[in-house]
Amino acid sequence: MRKVYIAAALLSLIGIADALYLTVEHVTGQSVKCTIVSGCSEVLSSPYAVVAGFPLAGIGAVAYFTVFSLATLAAFGYRAAGTLLTPLVTAMFFVSLWLIYLQAFVIREFCQYCLLSAAVTTALLVVVVVGRFVLKPASV
Amino acid sequence: MKRILPFIIILVVLGAALGSAWYFTRPNPATPTVTQPAPPPSPGSQSTPAQQPVARQGVPGAEPAHSIGPANAPIHLEEFGDFECPPCGMLHPILEQMHEEFGERLRITFREFPLANHQHARTAAAAAEAAGIQGKFWPMHDLIYERQNVWKTQFNTRAIFEDYAREIGLDVERYNRDMDGNLVTQRIFQDSRRGQSLGVQGTPTVFMNGREVPFENLAPDKLRLVIMKELQAVGSK
Repeated sequence: MRKVYIAAALLSLIGIADALYLTVEHVTGQSVKCTIVSGCSEVLSSPYAVVAGFPLAGIGAVAYFTVFSLATLAAFGYRAAGTLLTPLVTAMFFVSLWLIYLQAFVIREFCQYCLLSAAVTTALLVVVVVGRFVLKPASV
Repeated sequence: MKRILPFIIILVVLGAALGSAWYFTRPNPATPTVTQPAPPPSPGSQSTPAQQPVARQGVPGAEPAHSIGPANAPIHLEEFGDFECPPCGMLHPILEQMHEEFGERLRITFREFPLANHQHARTAAAAAEAAGIQGKFWPMHDLIYERQNVWKTQFNTRAIFEDYAREIGLDVERYNRDMDGNLVTQRIFQDSRRGQSLGVQGTPTVFMNGREVPFENLAPDKLRLVIMKELQAVGSK
Protein backbone atom coordinates (compact mmCIF):
# COMPACT_ATOMS: atom_id res chain seq x y z
CA MET A 1 0.00 0.00 0.00
CA ARG A 2 2.97 2.29 0.45
CA LYS A 3 3.06 3.50 -3.14
CA VAL A 4 -0.62 4.36 -2.97
CA TYR A 5 -0.09 6.51 0.09
CA ILE A 6 2.93 8.21 -1.45
CA ALA A 7 0.86 8.97 -4.55
CA ALA A 8 -1.91 10.36 -2.33
CA ALA A 9 0.58 12.53 -0.45
CA LEU A 10 2.02 13.93 -3.69
CA LEU A 11 -1.45 14.64 -5.08
CA SER A 12 -2.45 16.41 -1.90
CA LEU A 13 0.61 18.67 -2.25
CA ILE A 14 -0.87 19.93 -5.53
CA GLY A 15 -4.15 20.47 -3.71
CA ILE A 16 -2.42 22.38 -0.91
CA ALA A 17 -0.66 24.70 -3.38
CA ASP A 18 -3.89 25.30 -5.31
CA ALA A 19 -6.04 25.94 -2.25
CA LEU A 20 -3.35 28.10 -0.70
CA TYR A 21 -3.20 30.30 -3.79
CA LEU A 22 -6.97 30.80 -3.71
CA THR A 23 -6.86 31.49 0.04
CA VAL A 24 -4.19 34.15 -0.40
CA GLU A 25 -6.28 35.82 -3.10
CA HIS A 26 -9.24 35.81 -0.74
CA VAL A 27 -7.35 37.01 2.33
CA THR A 28 -5.65 39.87 0.48
CA GLY A 29 -9.12 41.20 -0.20
CA GLN A 30 -8.91 40.86 -3.95
CA SER A 31 -10.56 38.35 -6.16
CA VAL A 32 -8.27 37.26 -8.94
CA LYS A 33 -8.09 39.14 -12.22
CA CYS A 34 -10.37 38.32 -15.07
CA THR A 35 -8.38 36.41 -17.66
CA ILE A 36 -9.14 34.80 -20.95
CA VAL A 37 -9.33 31.31 -19.46
CA SER A 38 -11.11 31.80 -16.19
CA GLY A 39 -14.25 32.89 -14.45
CA CYS A 40 -12.38 32.89 -11.16
CA SER A 41 -13.33 36.42 -10.22
CA GLU A 42 -17.00 35.53 -10.58
CA VAL A 43 -16.60 32.33 -8.59
CA LEU A 44 -14.38 33.76 -5.86
CA SER A 45 -16.49 36.85 -5.36
CA SER A 46 -19.66 34.77 -5.04
CA PRO A 47 -21.28 34.16 -1.63
CA TYR A 48 -20.41 30.46 -1.95
CA ALA A 49 -16.71 31.27 -1.56
CA VAL A 50 -17.19 31.82 2.19
CA VAL A 51 -18.46 29.30 4.73
CA ALA A 52 -19.31 30.55 8.23
CA GLY A 53 -16.97 33.47 7.77
CA PHE A 54 -14.05 31.34 6.58
CA PRO A 55 -12.75 31.32 2.99
CA LEU A 56 -13.77 28.01 1.45
CA ALA A 57 -10.32 27.80 -0.14
CA GLY A 58 -8.74 27.98 3.33
CA ILE A 59 -10.91 25.11 4.51
CA GLY A 60 -9.80 23.23 1.41
CA ALA A 61 -6.14 23.91 2.22
CA VAL A 62 -6.64 22.48 5.72
CA ALA A 63 -8.39 19.43 4.25
CA TYR A 64 -5.58 18.82 1.76
CA PHE A 65 -2.99 19.23 4.48
CA THR A 66 -4.87 16.68 6.60
CA VAL A 67 -4.86 14.27 3.65
CA PHE A 68 -1.13 14.87 3.19
CA SER A 69 -0.44 14.21 6.87
CA LEU A 70 -2.55 11.03 6.98
CA ALA A 71 -1.07 9.71 3.72
CA THR A 72 2.47 10.41 4.90
CA LEU A 73 1.84 8.68 8.22
CA ALA A 74 0.18 5.75 6.43
CA ALA A 75 3.15 5.45 4.07
CA PHE A 76 5.36 5.04 7.11
CA GLY A 77 3.20 2.27 8.51
CA TYR A 78 0.69 4.08 10.70
CA ARG A 79 -2.35 1.98 9.81
CA ALA A 80 -4.92 4.12 11.62
CA ALA A 81 -3.99 7.06 9.39
CA GLY A 82 -4.69 4.98 6.29
CA THR A 83 -8.09 4.03 7.66
CA LEU A 84 -9.05 7.68 8.20
CA LEU A 85 -7.91 8.65 4.71
CA THR A 86 -10.76 6.94 2.83
CA PRO A 87 -13.73 8.67 4.52
CA LEU A 88 -11.96 12.04 4.40
CA VAL A 89 -11.15 11.82 0.69
CA THR A 90 -14.67 10.54 -0.04
CA ALA A 91 -16.18 13.52 1.78
CA MET A 92 -13.89 15.91 -0.11
CA PHE A 93 -14.94 14.32 -3.39
CA PHE A 94 -18.63 14.92 -2.69
CA VAL A 95 -17.93 18.50 -1.64
CA SER A 96 -16.09 18.96 -4.95
CA LEU A 97 -19.10 17.60 -6.82
CA TRP A 98 -21.30 20.14 -5.06
CA LEU A 99 -18.90 22.96 -5.93
CA ILE A 100 -18.83 21.94 -9.57
CA TYR A 101 -22.62 21.95 -9.56
CA LEU A 102 -22.58 25.48 -8.12
CA GLN A 103 -20.15 26.67 -10.79
CA ALA A 104 -22.08 25.05 -13.63
CA PHE A 105 -25.66 25.82 -12.69
CA VAL A 106 -25.72 28.61 -10.08
CA ILE A 107 -22.74 30.90 -10.69
CA ARG A 108 -22.50 29.82 -14.35
CA GLU A 109 -18.77 30.45 -14.44
CA PHE A 110 -15.87 28.06 -14.04
CA CYS A 111 -12.67 28.87 -12.21
CA GLN A 112 -9.70 26.83 -13.40
CA TYR A 113 -8.16 26.69 -9.93
CA CYS A 114 -11.42 25.30 -8.52
CA LEU A 115 -11.54 22.76 -11.35
CA LEU A 116 -7.94 21.77 -10.62
CA SER A 117 -8.92 21.18 -7.01
CA ALA A 118 -11.83 19.00 -8.11
CA ALA A 119 -9.50 17.04 -10.39
CA VAL A 120 -7.02 16.51 -7.55
CA THR A 121 -9.78 15.34 -5.22
CA THR A 122 -11.09 12.94 -7.85
CA ALA A 123 -7.60 11.57 -8.44
CA LEU A 124 -7.15 11.20 -4.69
CA LEU A 125 -10.37 9.24 -4.41
CA VAL A 126 -9.38 6.96 -7.28
CA VAL A 127 -5.92 6.35 -5.80
CA VAL A 128 -7.19 5.73 -2.28
CA VAL A 129 -10.16 3.57 -3.26
CA VAL A 130 -8.20 1.57 -5.81
CA GLY A 131 -5.40 1.11 -3.34
CA ARG A 132 -7.64 0.11 -0.49
CA PHE A 133 -10.32 -2.00 -2.11
CA VAL A 134 -9.01 -3.17 -5.47
CA LEU A 135 -5.31 -3.82 -5.10
CA LYS A 136 -4.26 -6.53 -2.74
CA PRO A 137 -2.15 -5.12 0.09
CA ALA A 138 0.59 -7.65 -0.56
CA SER A 139 1.03 -6.58 -4.19
CA VAL A 140 1.50 -2.86 -3.62
CA MET B 1 14.49 7.86 13.15
CA LYS B 2 12.02 6.16 10.83
CA ARG B 3 9.22 6.72 13.33
CA ILE B 4 9.72 10.45 13.53
CA LEU B 5 10.55 10.99 9.83
CA PRO B 6 6.87 11.33 8.72
CA PHE B 7 6.31 13.96 11.39
CA ILE B 8 9.37 15.87 10.19
CA ILE B 9 8.05 15.74 6.60
CA ILE B 10 4.63 16.94 7.75
CA LEU B 11 6.17 19.80 9.73
CA VAL B 12 8.35 20.83 6.78
CA VAL B 13 5.30 20.96 4.46
CA LEU B 14 3.31 22.85 7.09
CA GLY B 15 6.16 25.32 7.50
CA ALA B 16 6.46 25.79 3.73
CA ALA B 17 2.70 26.31 3.40
CA LEU B 18 2.48 28.82 6.24
CA GLY B 19 5.64 30.55 5.09
CA SER B 20 4.43 31.02 1.56
CA ALA B 21 1.01 32.14 2.82
CA TRP B 22 2.73 34.73 5.01
CA TYR B 23 4.99 35.83 2.15
CA PHE B 24 2.14 36.46 -0.25
CA THR B 25 -0.19 38.14 2.27
CA ARG B 26 2.41 40.41 3.87
CA PRO B 27 1.95 44.13 3.30
CA ASN B 28 3.45 45.20 0.01
CA PRO B 29 5.73 48.16 -0.39
CA ALA B 30 3.89 51.14 -1.78
CA THR B 31 5.95 51.17 -4.92
CA PRO B 32 5.25 48.81 -7.78
CA THR B 33 7.44 45.74 -7.79
CA VAL B 34 10.49 45.77 -10.00
CA THR B 35 9.80 43.56 -12.96
CA GLN B 36 12.09 45.18 -15.49
CA PRO B 37 15.70 46.30 -15.59
CA ALA B 38 16.17 49.60 -13.82
CA PRO B 39 16.09 52.75 -15.96
CA PRO B 40 18.47 55.67 -15.77
CA PRO B 41 17.35 58.13 -13.09
CA SER B 42 15.15 60.91 -14.39
CA PRO B 43 15.90 64.52 -13.50
CA GLY B 44 14.39 65.45 -10.16
CA SER B 45 13.67 61.88 -9.24
CA GLN B 46 14.34 60.98 -5.64
CA SER B 47 14.23 57.26 -6.20
CA THR B 48 17.19 55.12 -7.02
CA PRO B 49 17.30 53.08 -10.22
CA ALA B 50 16.81 49.93 -8.20
CA GLN B 51 13.47 51.21 -6.91
CA GLN B 52 12.19 52.44 -10.23
CA PRO B 53 11.37 49.88 -12.91
CA VAL B 54 11.54 51.03 -16.49
CA ALA B 55 8.36 52.37 -18.02
CA ARG B 56 7.03 50.22 -20.82
CA GLN B 57 6.12 51.77 -24.14
CA GLY B 58 4.05 49.28 -26.11
CA VAL B 59 2.35 50.01 -29.41
CA PRO B 60 -0.01 53.01 -29.49
CA GLY B 61 -3.62 52.48 -28.53
CA ALA B 62 -6.66 54.21 -29.99
CA GLU B 63 -6.19 57.95 -30.37
CA PRO B 64 -7.37 60.18 -28.95
CA ALA B 65 -7.48 58.06 -25.82
CA HIS B 66 -10.32 58.38 -23.32
CA SER B 67 -8.66 60.33 -20.51
CA ILE B 68 -9.62 62.55 -17.64
CA GLY B 69 -7.20 64.92 -15.94
CA PRO B 70 -4.61 67.23 -17.47
CA ALA B 71 -2.24 65.87 -20.10
CA ASN B 72 0.76 67.15 -18.11
CA ALA B 73 -0.35 65.60 -14.81
CA PRO B 74 2.62 64.06 -12.97
CA ILE B 75 0.75 60.79 -12.50
CA HIS B 76 -0.82 58.93 -15.40
CA LEU B 77 -2.89 55.85 -14.67
CA GLU B 78 -3.72 53.80 -17.73
CA GLU B 79 -6.32 51.13 -17.08
CA PHE B 80 -6.98 48.17 -19.35
CA GLY B 81 -10.51 47.16 -18.49
CA ASP B 82 -13.32 44.83 -19.41
CA PHE B 83 -16.81 46.10 -18.60
CA GLU B 84 -18.07 42.62 -17.70
CA CYS B 85 -15.21 41.84 -15.34
CA PRO B 86 -16.28 42.14 -11.66
CA PRO B 87 -12.89 43.34 -10.34
CA CYS B 88 -12.95 46.06 -13.04
CA GLY B 89 -16.37 47.04 -11.72
CA MET B 90 -14.91 47.19 -8.22
CA LEU B 91 -11.97 49.27 -9.41
CA HIS B 92 -14.25 51.85 -11.04
CA PRO B 93 -15.29 53.68 -7.81
CA ILE B 94 -11.73 53.43 -6.51
CA LEU B 95 -10.37 55.28 -9.55
CA GLU B 96 -13.16 57.83 -9.22
CA GLN B 97 -12.12 58.35 -5.61
CA MET B 98 -8.47 58.78 -6.61
CA HIS B 99 -9.53 61.27 -9.27
CA GLU B 100 -11.36 63.31 -6.64
CA GLU B 101 -8.53 63.12 -4.14
CA PHE B 102 -5.60 63.91 -6.43
CA GLY B 103 -7.41 66.23 -8.85
CA GLU B 104 -5.09 67.94 -11.33
CA ARG B 105 -2.13 65.79 -10.32
CA LEU B 106 -3.73 62.68 -11.80
CA ARG B 107 -4.64 61.68 -15.34
CA ILE B 108 -6.65 58.51 -15.89
CA THR B 109 -6.92 56.77 -19.25
CA PHE B 110 -9.27 53.91 -19.99
CA ARG B 111 -8.29 51.32 -22.59
CA GLU B 112 -10.64 48.68 -23.93
CA PHE B 113 -9.57 45.13 -23.23
CA PRO B 114 -12.73 43.00 -23.63
CA LEU B 115 -12.04 39.36 -22.87
CA ALA B 116 -13.36 36.77 -25.28
CA ASN B 117 -14.81 34.61 -22.51
CA HIS B 118 -17.09 37.42 -21.34
CA GLN B 119 -20.03 37.19 -23.68
CA HIS B 120 -21.18 40.81 -23.34
CA ALA B 121 -17.82 42.51 -22.88
CA ARG B 122 -17.33 43.29 -26.57
CA THR B 123 -20.84 44.77 -26.87
CA ALA B 124 -20.26 46.87 -23.74
CA ALA B 125 -16.94 48.13 -25.10
CA ALA B 126 -18.63 49.01 -28.40
CA ALA B 127 -21.41 50.85 -26.55
CA ALA B 128 -18.89 52.95 -24.64
CA GLU B 129 -16.87 53.67 -27.78
CA ALA B 130 -20.00 54.57 -29.77
CA ALA B 131 -20.94 56.98 -26.97
CA GLY B 132 -17.41 58.34 -27.16
CA ILE B 133 -17.91 59.32 -30.78
CA GLN B 134 -20.62 61.66 -29.54
CA GLY B 135 -18.35 62.92 -26.74
CA LYS B 136 -20.01 60.91 -23.99
CA PHE B 137 -17.62 58.07 -23.38
CA TRP B 138 -17.29 58.69 -19.64
CA PRO B 139 -21.03 58.96 -18.84
CA MET B 140 -21.57 55.66 -20.69
CA HIS B 141 -18.47 54.10 -19.10
CA ASP B 142 -19.74 55.04 -15.63
CA LEU B 143 -23.25 53.80 -16.30
CA ILE B 144 -22.09 50.46 -17.69
CA TYR B 145 -19.86 49.81 -14.70
CA GLU B 146 -22.36 51.02 -12.13
CA ARG B 147 -25.04 48.72 -13.55
CA GLN B 148 -22.76 45.78 -14.28
CA ASN B 149 -24.81 43.46 -12.10
CA VAL B 150 -27.98 44.46 -13.91
CA TRP B 151 -26.96 43.77 -17.51
CA LYS B 152 -24.32 41.07 -17.27
CA THR B 153 -26.88 38.35 -16.58
CA GLN B 154 -29.23 39.47 -19.35
CA PHE B 155 -29.47 38.05 -22.84
CA ASN B 156 -30.01 41.12 -24.98
CA THR B 157 -27.52 43.61 -23.62
CA ARG B 158 -27.52 45.60 -26.82
CA ALA B 159 -31.07 46.78 -26.06
CA ILE B 160 -30.06 47.63 -22.49
CA PHE B 161 -27.10 49.70 -23.64
CA GLU B 162 -29.37 51.44 -26.12
CA ASP B 163 -31.53 52.49 -23.19
CA TYR B 164 -28.42 53.82 -21.48
CA ALA B 165 -27.54 55.74 -24.65
CA ARG B 166 -30.99 57.30 -24.56
CA GLU B 167 -30.61 58.05 -20.85
CA ILE B 168 -27.38 60.02 -21.32
CA GLY B 169 -28.86 61.92 -24.22
CA LEU B 170 -27.16 60.36 -27.22
CA ASP B 171 -28.47 60.50 -30.76
CA VAL B 172 -29.59 56.87 -30.62
CA GLU B 173 -29.83 56.40 -34.37
CA ARG B 174 -26.23 57.47 -34.81
CA TYR B 175 -25.19 55.49 -31.75
CA ASN B 176 -26.63 52.31 -33.26
CA ARG B 177 -24.87 52.98 -36.53
CA ASP B 178 -21.57 53.59 -34.76
CA MET B 179 -21.92 50.44 -32.67
CA ASP B 180 -21.38 48.42 -35.84
CA GLY B 181 -19.05 50.89 -37.48
CA ASN B 182 -15.39 50.54 -38.36
CA LEU B 183 -14.25 53.29 -36.03
CA VAL B 184 -15.54 51.52 -32.92
CA THR B 185 -14.12 48.18 -34.05
CA GLN B 186 -10.79 49.79 -34.84
CA ARG B 187 -10.55 51.58 -31.49
CA ILE B 188 -11.27 48.40 -29.52
CA PHE B 189 -8.73 46.52 -31.63
CA GLN B 190 -6.05 49.19 -31.16
CA ASP B 191 -6.54 49.38 -27.40
CA SER B 192 -6.46 45.60 -27.08
CA ARG B 193 -3.37 45.39 -29.24
CA ARG B 194 -1.67 47.99 -27.06
CA GLY B 195 -2.57 45.93 -24.00
CA GLN B 196 -1.13 42.80 -25.56
CA SER B 197 2.08 44.63 -26.46
CA LEU B 198 2.40 45.67 -22.82
CA GLY B 199 1.91 42.11 -21.63
CA VAL B 200 -1.61 42.55 -20.30
CA GLN B 201 -3.08 39.13 -19.61
CA GLY B 202 -6.12 39.98 -17.56
CA THR B 203 -8.27 42.80 -16.32
CA PRO B 204 -8.08 45.16 -14.64
CA THR B 205 -4.44 45.93 -15.37
CA VAL B 206 -3.28 49.40 -14.45
CA PHE B 207 -0.05 51.10 -15.45
CA MET B 208 1.20 54.10 -13.54
CA ASN B 209 3.53 56.27 -15.61
CA GLY B 210 4.15 53.23 -17.77
CA ARG B 211 4.85 50.74 -14.99
CA GLU B 212 2.35 48.08 -14.03
CA VAL B 213 0.76 48.49 -10.62
CA PRO B 214 0.57 45.06 -8.96
CA PHE B 215 -3.01 43.88 -8.73
CA GLU B 216 -2.95 43.71 -4.93
CA ASN B 217 -2.04 47.41 -4.82
CA LEU B 218 -5.29 48.43 -6.49
CA ALA B 219 -7.19 48.49 -3.19
CA PRO B 220 -7.99 52.12 -2.26
CA ASP B 221 -5.54 52.51 0.62
CA LYS B 222 -2.71 50.85 -1.22
CA LEU B 223 -3.34 52.68 -4.49
CA ARG B 224 -3.37 55.98 -2.62
CA LEU B 225 0.03 55.14 -1.14
CA VAL B 226 1.38 54.07 -4.51
CA ILE B 227 0.29 57.36 -6.07
CA MET B 228 1.69 59.44 -3.20
CA LYS B 229 4.98 57.61 -3.44
CA GLU B 230 5.13 58.24 -7.17
CA LEU B 231 4.29 61.90 -6.63
CA GLN B 232 7.24 62.16 -4.27
CA ALA B 233 9.44 60.37 -6.79
CA VAL B 234 8.58 62.77 -9.60
CA GLY B 235 8.98 65.73 -7.26
CA SER B 236 5.37 66.93 -7.19
CA LYS B 237 3.46 67.48 -3.96
